[in-house]
Amino acid sequence: MIIDNKIFNELKRVRQEITTRLLIITVFAYFSFISVIAFKPDLFGQPFLETNFSIGIILGFLLILLIFIVTLIYVYQANKKLEPLIKQIQTSYKK
Amino acid sequence: MQESQDLNFIAILMFSIFVLITLFITYWAANQTKTAKGFYTAGGNITGLQNGLAISGDFMSAASFLGISGLVYLSGFDGLIYSIGFLVGWPIILLLIAEPLRNLGKYTFADVASFRLQQTPIRTLAALGSLFTVILYLIAQMVGAGKLIEILFGLPYYVAVIIVGGLMILYVTLGGMLATTWVQIIKAILLLSGASLIAFLVLINFNFNFDSFFSAAVNFHDNGNAILAPGGLISDPVSAISLGLALMFGTAGLPHILMRFFTVKDAVEARKSVVYATGFIGYFYLLTFIIGFGAIILVSSNPEYLNADGTLVGNNNMAAIHLAHAVGGDLLLGFISAVAFATILAVVSGLTLAGASAISHDLYANVFSKSVNEKKEMMISKVATVALGIIAIFLGIIFEKQNVAFMVGLAFAIAASTNFPILLLSIYWKKLTTRGAVIGGGAGLMLAVLLVILGPVVWVDILKNSEAIFPYKYPALFSMAVTFILIWFFSVTDKSKTAKDEHKKFDSQYFRAQTGIGIEEGSHH
Repeated sequence: MIIDNKIFNELKRVRQEITTRLLIITVFAYFSFISVIAFKPDLFGQPFLETNFSIGIILGFLLILLIFIVTLIYVYQANKKLEPLIKQIQTSYKK
Repeated sequence: MQESQDLNFIAILMFSIFVLITLFITYWAANQTKTAKGFYTAGGNITGLQNGLAISGDFMSAASFLGISGLVYLSGFDGLIYSIGFLVGWPIILLLIAEPLRNLGKYTFADVASFRLQQTPIRTLAALGSLFTVILYLIAQMVGAGKLIEILFGLPYYVAVIIVGGLMILYVTLGGMLATTWVQIIKAILLLSGASLIAFLVLINFNFNFDSFFSAAVNFHDNGNAILAPGGLISDPVSAISLGLALMFGTAGLPHILMRFFTVKDAVEARKSVVYATGFIGYFYLLTFIIGFGAIILVSSNPEYLNADGTLVGNNNMAAIHLAHAVGGDLLLGFISAVAFATILAVVSGLTLAGASAISHDLYANVFSKSVNEKKEMMISKVATVALGIIAIFLGIIFEKQNVAFMVGLAFAIAASTNFPILLLSIYWKKLTTRGAVIGGGAGLMLAVLLVILGPVVWVDILKNSEAIFPYKYPALFSMAVTFILIWFFSVTDKSKTAKDEHKKFDSQYFRAQTGIGIEEGSHH
């Protein structure tokens, strides 16, 4: 049966590993950002080093970049680690 | 006066070219769209890149282009809060939803939610959630469109609303998903290039030195340094978290967005679409930020764009439009006006198609008739499109003088409190039962609507009561919590025979969700 399939269990495990890590990063980064706005908005108004940017604007831009990078990392890992397993299961079912 | 006549002419000319091209595409698409599959999913043959562009075309509405750049113009940093919120839903879709959705579904997300649960109640709930979301979103788009076109093209409000509704009905009924997809792709390319050009022409004044660009904006703005910090958008922690939740999880429950994942061949392409979409949308939000700050420098200092009291001619949403004129003259203004019009058309087309599918595929084909008759289902879908189009025009005219900004927020709250939880749990939680999903999802839907009506925006600002019964602007924290708790409680206490069957079907559903074995294939030409 399906449930005893070793490769499928491996697929589940690897997928969970990849997904959990990236989900935690995304949710943590976003809610930290929102929490600063909610509890300590002045912090984001501080100038960033010697520039005319504020810390909030720098972090906001970095967060946009991070969100994109998370999707890149996921697709890279999914194609590298998950796709071979999925292909293996698919071929074994076509036989 | 002479100048505004010329300006209308350029804008109308460019918009007419857009309409001609898209109608030509619709004519071509109509010949390709003979089956229900073609109508709902463009045959499932859209590539990841095309779908990524179409998703961004679906998602980057005129409201977010003009609204966010307007918000940045007014209060700086606060615009960034919305941008990030709208973007952060994408990793959630990618990591949790996109692949299982493609592997399990056919035309609508209700296909997935009802995969192992009972068709009638689950599809009815999912269709209700979809229709609420779609209609609220549509009203907001129509009212925004009417006002925008009134200002840009000098057309009367109701004429503008009728043109938008009429063209949308044409695209969707004749060309289905294929025409809608191409309208969205073209619009996304136009919007991204238009916004890039404005940002480029702004930054060239500063030799692309962001530091001096930001310092100039601070100098020009009345609030000075305060524009670099959070302002009045979010005043208390509960609202902050609540808005954050609605934005983060609402995107993963928007039916017109979810529907786009059925247009690609398989899970690999679905994955790719999200990366492209996230890239385009993220880049676009960076541009709106530069455009908002650019408007602070170049628009707020030029009396040509200001009323006597210092507010913008038109309204605050016109910051990007005035900036286009300031950096690129009448030609760029005409181009951006036409792009804004095209943007509205693409978004309402996607929404209407999703709403029509909920009616024809979920309610008609799987709840009321239960027999599969493709021809009939497609016909119902087209009738539903026309009906939704007429409803949208009608509501657009009724709500002309109302503040409709809260409607998009409510649509997100409903998507996060009903559509997203039932979709997520049906994919990942074995113990979910029909009873739990219907009670929890239904309660979340009603609570989200109720809390918005009793909240400050509707109860005080629109109904003119002195004090809100529910103190917060954003209901998602409460409605989502109620949804998940009720779904959990009424699922685990469900000892019926159907509940046992539903548990049993989970493993094979999960297997298909992960591997795509048994997936609905794209049609081969």
